[in-house]
Amino acid sequence: MKCRKCKAVAAVALPSHNTAFCPDCYPDFVRSQVERAIHRHKMIAPGDRVLVAVSGGKDSLALTLLLHELGHEVHGLHVDLDIPNSSTDARAACEGFFTKLGLPLTVIELHREGLAIPLVKSRIKRPICSVCGKLKRYYFNKFALENDYPVLATGHNLDDEVSRLFANTIRWDRAYLSDQGPLLPAENGFARKIKPMYRLTEFEIANFSFLRGIDHVIAGCPYSGKASFPIYKGLWSGLEERMPGAKVQFYENFLREGRPVFAAWSDQQGELPTPCTECGYPTSAERCGVCRIKAMVADDEK
Amino acid sequence: MINVRLEPEGRKVHFPKLGTVLQLLKKLGLGNNAALIIRDGELLTPDRRLHAGDEVVVRTVTSRG
Ligand SMILES: [Zn+2]
Ligand SMILES: [Zn+2]
Repeated sequence: MKCRKCKAVAAVALPSHNTAFCPDCYPDFVRSQVERAIHRHKMIAPGDRVLVAVSGGKDSLALTLLLHELGHEVHGLHVDLDIPNSSTDARAACEGFFTKLGLPLTVIELHREGLAIPLVKSRIKRPICSVCGKLKRYYFNKFALENDYPVLATGHNLDDEVSRLFANTIRWDRAYLSDQGPLLPAENGFARKIKPMYRLTEFEIANFSFLRGIDHVIAGCPYSGKASFPIYKGLWSGLEERMPGAKVQFYENFLREGRPVFAAWSDQQGELPTPCTECGYPTSAERCGVCRIKAMVADDEK
Repeated sequence: MINVRLEPEGRKVHFPKLGTVLQLLKKLGLGNNAALIIRDGELLTPDRRLHAGDEVVVRTVTSRG
């Protein structure tokens, strides 16, 4: 196969785009996909400082590099989960990468909040992945608001978005279907959230990270074994293999045709979150989910 | 012999004879977009030929939660 742009030997073949690129031209393709996403959804206004949530994996580190190269002012935020044999590597990958680029990185340590994941896992019956996700979203949002970052970016890719949309569709979860998308505007105590890599697959980002020499962690989370997303990801990769372009079509058509319908339904419900009585975080209950988790862990401690 | 290292597990497999990267992917039961195929630090597309003595890394594409 030859590179579409310069006819050199291709390094990456992309069936869904019916094309291939050499190592020199491929990063331009990835950058243009991110640029297009930012532009189309007006994700970042001129002069916006961008807070990037980084896990140490390829997606969030690639996003950091791309936003930096596109000229945005980037600040990294990492949540250290304190999981043995995993969190130290993840944190070191983030710290090494940000030091190399000369960009600022803040680390929030969950054990300082009394919420180290192994402790939480031992005290709470619910699946740990959903609790962990909730804690991370809470601290990312809190940090963005308290430090006046107008926008919070995450490294979610097309596979993440499609498997989540698929899970929500299987349950026809109207509330989730009403606000899934690459841009969530700032409202009711939440920072603006953006997913500039939503048009790129995991495979596309892995190739980019390899070619740009991004030092990221490869091993997955030791607790993620029972999550349902890997099943959906597997189904979708089989589908994509036989129908190149299916993923991006399913997602983009949802954004155009499906989401507005669910959003209109959600507006009719008119239920706005109120500040948590303990920490002020927006919630639909009196006390927010994270304060309830803290209380459960503390109760058990006694 | 073509020597293949599977990442992230680190397991090694060997194939006496293979024509192309696509055949390797098929033998491993992987789709075209499931893994990076790396030889001598270079990425290979499915149509590339493999040769006796090649050391190939197959890095499955997975992201953390
Ligand atoms: Zn080229
Ligand atoms: Zn609270």
